[in-house]
Amino acid sequence: MVIRRFHMELVVAGLTCLAGAVTALGSLELGVGWGESGPEPGYFPFYIGVLLALLGSYNGVYALLAKRGDQELFVERRHAIRLARFFGPMAAFVILTIFLGLYVGAALYLFYTAWRQGNYRPHFAALLGGGFAVALFVVFELMFKVPLLKGPLEPLFGIY
Amino acid sequence: MENFGLLLDGFQIALTPSHIAIMVVGVLLGLVVGVLPGLGAPNGVSLLIPLTFSMEPVSAIILLASMYWGALFGGSTTSILFNIPGEPSSVATTFDGYPMARDGQATRALTLAFMSAGIGALVGVIVITLLSSWAAEFALRFGAPEYFAVYFLAFCAFIGMGSAAPAKTAVSLLLGLALSSVGMDTITGSLRLTFGISELIGGISFLVVVIGLFGIGEILITIQHGLKFRGVSSRVDLRDVFRTIAELPRYYATLIRSCLVGTWMGITPGGPTAASFMSYGIARQWSRRGKPFGTGRPEGIIAPETADHSAGTCAMLPMLALGVPSSATAAVMMGGLMIWGLTPGPMLFTTKPDFVWGLIASMYVANIVGVILVLATVPMFAALLRIPFAIIGPMIVAVCFVGAYTVSSATFDLWLVLAFGIVGYVFNKLQYPIAPLVLAMVLGHKAENAFHQSMIMSDGSVLVFWSNPLVGSIITLALALVAVPQLVRFATRLRRTEVDEPLVK
Repeated sequence: MVIRRFHMELVVAGLTCLAGAVTALGSLELGVGWGESGPEPGYFPFYIGVLLALLGSYNGVYALLAKRGDQELFVERRHAIRLARFFGPMAAFVILTIFLGLYVGAALYLFYTAWRQGNYRPHFAALLGGGFAVALFVVFELMFKVPLLKGPLEPLFGIY
Repeated sequence: MENFGLLLDGFQIALTPSHIAIMVVGVLLGLVVGVLPGLGAPNGVSLLIPLTFSMEPVSAIILLASMYWGALFGGSTTSILFNIPGEPSSVATTFDGYPMARDGQATRALTLAFMSAGIGALVGVIVITLLSSWAAEFALRFGAPEYFAVYFLAFCAFIGMGSAAPAKTAVSLLLGLALSSVGMDTITGSLRLTFGISELIGGISFLVVVIGLFGIGEILITIQHGLKFRGVSSRVDLRDVFRTIAELPRYYATLIRSCLVGTWMGITPGGPTAASFMSYGIARQWSRRGKPFGTGRPEGIIAPETADHSAGTCAMLPMLALGVPSSATAAVMMGGLMIWGLTPGPMLFTTKPDFVWGLIASMYVANIVGVILVLATVPMFAALLRIPFAIIGPMIVAVCFVGAYTVSSATFDLWLVLAFGIVGYVFNKLQYPIAPLVLAMVLGHKAENAFHQSMIMSDGSVLVFWSNPLVGSIITLALALVAVPQLVRFATRLRRTEVDEPLVK
C-alpha cells in the first residue's frame, strides 16, 4: 500500500475539521449565548471551533481541487520501516513506564535499543541503561528534589 | 537616561557569582540542546521549566534565557561542522558555513558565526534597553479591547507574514486556541471540553504539547531523513580565531544590514528563522563581486547569524513589554513566567523592575559568556554528535518523557507527548507550521479573557474594537496583514491568466 501526500493532506484536513466540529459541539452544551453576567463559557471556544471546522474543510477542498501532492509519496517504504523501528520501542517504553515507573522503563528502553538496534554487547547495553537511570535519579530526585514516577521495583531498593 | 540607571541596577543582579554560574550552566545546557538533533530551543526550555519552580524568578529566567542563547550558538555549530542545522533558524548558515569548514577553514567559519552572532545579540539587547520602558509605558494605556487587538495582531501576523499556506497557519493557531480552552474555565469555573475525561480537568499543559511537537516530532523527522554525519575536523586554533576577528570590520555593511533585518523581524512576529533567510537573501543580492554564495563566502555566514541572534534577542521585547511573544521559544518562556506567578506585560516594569532589568542586564553578560564558552568547548560538543544515534536517540526520547512527567506528575501526559509527537511529525511533513499552535496555547486564556471583558464592556458588540483610534488601527492593521497578501496573490493570478490566454488559443 502506498500513502501519497495527497491522501495525508485529506486525512489531516478532515481531522482538523472534525476537531473543530467537536470543539463547537462541546461548546454548544455549555451555552454559547449571553448569560446574566456576560458571555457564557462556550462563547469563545464555539467560534474557534466553527472557524477551525471551516478552515479544515477549506484545506481539504483545496487539496482536492489543486491535487496537492498527488504524485508525491508521504513516506517511502524504507523510511517507514526505519520510523517504525524507532517508534515501536518508544511506545513500549511509555507502556512499561506506566506499570514499572520511569527509572525501570528508561533503563529497559535504553538497554533494548542499544542491544538490539545499536548492536552493542548485552552487558554494555545493560550498563548504559542502568547508568542512565542512576543519572536521572541523581539529577531529579537528589539535586532538584523532583520525584519521578516509581513502580513496584523501587521500594525493593528502599527508594520511595 | 532613566533606563540607564535601571540597567545599572540590573547589572548588580546579573553580575553576582551565583547568577554568572547559572549563565554558564544555562549556556552549556543550551549548547547540548542546540547541538543534538531533535532537541531544540523551545523544547529544551520546556524541559527545564519544571525544574525552576523552586528557584527565584529572576534566577530562573536568567537560566532559561541563557539556555536559549546557548541553543542558538549550538545550532550554528552543527550547521557549520556537520551540515546539519541544529535549529531551524540556523539552516541558512549551512549554505556557506559548511563549504568553508570543508575547505579546512572550520575555525574561521565558526569564529565568523559566533562573533557575528554575538554582535547581533548585543545590538538586539541594546534595542531592548532603549525601547522597552517606552513600549511598556505606551502599553499601560491599553484596556481589554486593546489587549485583544494586540493578540489578534500577533495571530494575524503569523498568518499573513509566515511562509506556510495561510489556511494551514490559521488551522494551527485555532487548534492551539481550542486546546487552551480545555479544562476548568478561569472566568466561570465551569468544565469545558473535557468530555468526561477526568485527566483533562486541569487542562492540557503547553509544556507537554511543546515537548511532543518539537521534541518527539523533530526526532521522528530526523530518523526519517537518516543521519549522515560527515563531520569536518572541529579543532579550534586560537591564532585563527584572532585573525578572523581582525577580518570582521571589513564586513561592517553586512553586519549593519543584518542587524536591521533581525531587529525588525524579532520585534514583529517574523521570528529568527525568517530573519536569517531574509538576511542571507539580501546579502546575496547586494554583493556583486567575489566568490559566488554557497561556496563558503564570509558574508554568507555573517548575514544569517547576525540576523538570527538579533531577532532571537529582540523577540524578548514584545514578550516583556506587551506580553506577546514573537517566537516559539519566547512563548514558552512567557508561559514559564506565568507559572512562576508573574504577569508579562507593562505592569511587570513597575511591579518587578529588578526582574526585568536583571534579565536585560543578564542578556549582555550571557551573550559574552556564550561567545567565549562556545569557542572553548566546540570540540567537546562536536564529539557529542559522533556518539552513535542508537544510544543518543533513545536518551533524548527518555529525557523528553521525563521532562513531560515532571510538569504535573501525570502519566496521562506521557500519552499526550506520544500523540503530539505524531502530530508534530505529520504537520512537519505537510508544512503546517507548529510555532503558531504553541503561541496560541500560551496566549489562549489571555486572549479569551480580553475578548470576554471587551464584550462585557460593549454588551456583545464587536464594534468595541473600533471604539477609539488606537484599538481601531491595531485591529484594522491585523485584518490588513491577513487580507492584503491574499488580494495581491489573487490579483497577480488574474493578470497572469489574462496574459496567458492568447497563448493558450
